[in-house]
Amino acid sequence: MYPDPDRPRRFGALDAALIAAALGVAAYFWFRVSDVLVYRWDWSFLPGALIRTGPDGGWRPNLLLEGLLTTIRLSLWAMALASLLGLALGAMASSARLLPKMTATVYVGLIRNMPPLVFIFVFYFFLSSQIIPALGVDAALRALGPQGAALTGALLGPPALAENLLSGVLCLALLEAAYICEIVRAGIGSVPEAQKEAARSLGLRPFQVFRLVTAPLALRAVTPPLANQFIMLVKNSAIVSLISVQELTFIATEVAVSTGRRFETWIVVAALYFALCYGLARLFARLERRMRLTDRR
Amino acid sequence: MKLTGAILGAVMTATAVSAPAAAQDAQQALAQGSVIETIKQRGVLRVGMATFVPWAMRDKNGELIGFEIDVAKKLGADMEVRVDFVPTAWDGIIPALLAGKFDVIIGGMSITPARNLTVNFTAPYANSSLGVMAHASMQGKAWPDDYNQSGVTFVCRRGATPCAYIAERFPKAELRQFDDQGQTLQEVLNGSAQVLVDSQPLPAFTIFDNPGVVFAPTEEKINPGNEGFALRKGDPDALNFFNNWILVNRASGWLDARHAYWFGGRPWADLVSN
Repeated sequence: MYPDPDRPRRFGALDAALIAAALGVAAYFWFRVSDVLVYRWDWSFLPGALIRTGPDGGWRPNLLLEGLLTTIRLSLWAMALASLLGLALGAMASSARLLPKMTATVYVGLIRNMPPLVFIFVFYFFLSSQIIPALGVDAALRALGPQGAALTGALLGPPALAENLLSGVLCLALLEAAYICEIVRAGIGSVPEAQKEAARSLGLRPFQVFRLVTAPLALRAVTPPLANQFIMLVKNSAIVSLISVQELTFIATEVAVSTGRRFETWIVVAALYFALCYGLARLFARLERRMRLTDRR
Repeated sequence: MKLTGAILGAVMTATAVSAPAAAQDAQQALAQGSVIETIKQRGVLRVGMATFVPWAMRDKNGELIGFEIDVAKKLGADMEVRVDFVPTAWDGIIPALLAGKFDVIIGGMSITPARNLTVNFTAPYANSSLGVMAHASMQGKAWPDDYNQSGVTFVCRRGATPCAYIAERFPKAELRQFDDQGQTLQEVLNGSAQVLVDSQPLPAFTIFDNPGVVFAPTEEKINPGNEGFALRKGDPDALNFFNNWILVNRASGWLDARHAYWFGGRPWADLVSN
């Protein structure tokens, strides 16, 4: 996996040949694309699509950045909710009792054996139209004062679209919870029986065994797959554009249609997603390394 | 106001005396359950729409502009409520209306019997027609006979009225459907597909922007459409209100003036960063 530290780092002829080949392929594709594609490239709209000047002359995020912010909000909330739900389900799946075990198994089985897109349509049109209005979020948000509105604005985005965001969050969270449940179940399963026996022989009660021994060990085991799942969630969040949640992908469609700058828009959107997910991957890699270091001590 | 109240009171008493109590209750429940009541109580009119040049699009500041945005804003102003726009993916817009995500679709939706079975339509507030745009490789072929052939590919926006028109009139040609307007345009500009049928003025504008690449094989007005507001069924009060709002604004010339502004040319081109 990692390069051998003793091996001298050299830039050989093979490297040069590979880079030249890669550039050649890229150039060929570019040539083919400009040959086949009837398109006038024009990137001049881009700064305007990212940033606009507010009424006071200050800079504000415009459509694409707003969309990116919504994607980030959506992912964070969905991950928080999915973690809670997934943890509870994972604990239930690891339980020795039949009812909790079956409940978790049925949930996971149901969600994991359905395409996410189909689940989202079913959930959105049949369930979320019952659940979301019943929560009364809309009325609650309208009743807030300006200060409360500023706070929820930062957390949930524009109040008029809060319900919309919330149904996206619920969809994604319910979907990802099933996968997180499996990760948590595997994590709990990976704790050696001997550890639990040792804890029990010290006289700890079942819940104490879970809290003091199983959970910390399991948590360490599940961190890498959880991080991976989070990155998957960020990418999966693009699906909720189909139920018109105003995140990056949905906004990009609107920008592409309105400006007529289709390819530029989608290339920028791809770059934004890449930056977000790659940044997250680096962050998690760093966290993992730090955990390993504390492990050794 | 007082007089209206008095008349209303008299009418209600008369109805109360003459009609059985159950019928009166039903009538009241119907009036109370109207979406108009909900909108007034909430102080917000929620409008479902989809981005579609020049019906609705985003300007440089990210705000929505366009013909139906003007229509919805004036409707809101006349009802003395705020308007919240709910941009929605086109192929999910009717289910979203039925699921109560918004009160009404003002989205350049053509009235068709098939749609009308699921939703109610108001009288038309706009009349569009379809336009045709063909790739230069089709130059010299006769419309419409030479276009009804197996080598010809048509494109349309999934779920939009042109799809049905193409399938019916050009059964031998291939039809490919895309989710948004941008993709359909690009397929024809690239020559991957040959013909686009879509609501005017989009084909006309695109032909103007890309001379030599695409052209108009015909100038005839195809399938003149009638665009109405769409709302959930079982709401006579809302239907009546919207119908008469359209009637009043058509008679005053306001609707035609706005339509001429957005569809007649592109005086608004500077507003969108195109």
